[in-house]
Amino acid sequence: MSPPAPPAIELRGVSRWYGNVVAVNDVSFEVGPGVTGLLGPNGAGKSTILHMAAGFLRPSAGEVRILGEPAWRNPGIYRRLGLVPEREAVYGFLTGRQFVELAARLHRLPDPGAAAARAIARVDMAAAADRPCGGYSKGMKQRIKIAAALVHDPQVLILDEPFNGADPRQRLHLMDLLRRMAAEGRTILYSSHILEEVERLADTVLVMVAGRLAASGDYRQIRALMTDRPHAFTVRSSDDRALAGRLLAEPAITGIAFEDGHLEVRATALLAAARALPVAAREAGVTLYEVRPTDESLERVFAYLVRR
Amino acid sequence: MNADIARLAARTLLGQRRTLLVVLLALVPVLVATVFRLAAGADADPGLFTARDLLAGLVVTTVLPLVTLIFATGAFGQDIEDGTIVYLLATPVPRREMVLTRVLVAWAAALVVLLPSTLLAGAIAIESADPAIVLGFLVGVAAGAFIYTAAFTWLSIATGRALVAGLLYVFLWEGTLSGLFSGIRFLSIRQYTNGIAGAFFDLPGDAWSPRLGPGTAFLLAALAAAFLLSLAVRRLERWQLGESA
Repeated sequence: MSPPAPPAIELRGVSRWYGNVVAVNDVSFEVGPGVTGLLGPNGAGKSTILHMAAGFLRPSAGEVRILGEPAWRNPGIYRRLGLVPEREAVYGFLTGRQFVELAARLHRLPDPGAAAARAIARVDMAAAADRPCGGYSKGMKQRIKIAAALVHDPQVLILDEPFNGADPRQRLHLMDLLRRMAAEGRTILYSSHILEEVERLADTVLVMVAGRLAASGDYRQIRALMTDRPHAFTVRSSDDRALAGRLLAEPAITGIAFEDGHLEVRATALLAAARALPVAAREAGVTLYEVRPTDESLERVFAYLVRR
Repeated sequence: MNADIARLAARTLLGQRRTLLVVLLALVPVLVATVFRLAAGADADPGLFTARDLLAGLVVTTVLPLVTLIFATGAFGQDIEDGTIVYLLATPVPRREMVLTRVLVAWAAALVVLLPSTLLAGAIAIESADPAIVLGFLVGVAAGAFIYTAAFTWLSIATGRALVAGLLYVFLWEGTLSGLFSGIRFLSIRQYTNGIAGAFFDLPGDAWSPRLGPGTAFLLAALAAAFLLSLAVRRLERWQLGESA
């Protein structure tokens, strides 16, 4: 019996520090075929993880392997790996076609022109391919970078914040492209700090918080963890005391505190609380001036996951 | 040598404003030679002036290192600064091939500027003196340009401040210390250049002579070039994203 195929991307006990600053702390995971989203707030260590996975950063500790081979100091992995960096810089003096053909020739493909044309068509850039990259919009630069990363038909594709600068139509097109590539059996790992982008595309997510892997696995299970957590609102009304008395009777409300001129309301479920608040206000004869979630930022959501 | 990387490097170099500065710099020896030809007194020695003051003094000491510094730091520096280096490095092309190609392109660009400048300045100033002086410095400058290019290419991969570091090296080490302490001649590209040039001519008396004999200069130049190229390859193999940003 032949041994099982190695994971497409594998991190084992990986840490990376810069002087006294720990950017990534003892992270281990495996990524297989399909779309995997690397999610986390800015500064969580997502780019550091991707740079190490792409062989562009040496781990301070641990091991990073791509398709069973070491990622660091191993240019051979780029025959089966494509990378789309976050920075939008491209060679401004080259046309999109020349840029992608250059990538094809550097990969020593037998027919660079045909390979470039195929990659350009995949990202829907054929119409603009003969214009200099310097005149492209952010979204177009992003797509031509993806075409260059795809030109050698890699088994693994790593993308750092690929939807930055893309307009909604381009975003949908890119998501569709990545889904199709995943359906062909490729491994796609991409980073994002926008929850909705990951929700719409990724089968599996890796959640990074403060350099650590806070959660990993099926997106729906992690989303459930996020929705189960207590929610907090700041509420201002015409009569905070009367509103608080009425709200306490609501099962979804777990706590109320009087703060400086407003109420801090805690609830077990976001939607139930959102429905209960106006009903309670109407029954108490109170006018609501402001209802504002106080801890809905991604950082808070991730922090909650970490505490669990 | 990789033709695609060479074309890319050439376009990057040609697109830089600093290339104009290089051309202006190369005109300086020609201007100085012209002034000498027009204004020198009857007792002036054209051979000595051409060898000691014009070619060894101005071209080898100042113009050669500055021209190569500008071209060689542009070879990788621009790509590292704007992040486009990733598109080259995310390919299986061997790093030694990348370094060698970029060094050869930067060296060729430097020669296009330096050789005509040396030839023209020398031809104007030499009058009836031995033309082998000019020939010697053409060979010396070509060899020196290669070593400087290798050194500054390594510097451009190793640090984001290659231009400043290179200027300090040129003026402190090559310009000042190598003239003050004779032991430094073994570690000075300027002295290798002069030594190689000196193999082609003899000036009467002790008017000017290189600090290194031709054989030693050739050997040390070859060793320095090989060492600096291997340093640059090693540095590129270990280059990490974000370190020079």
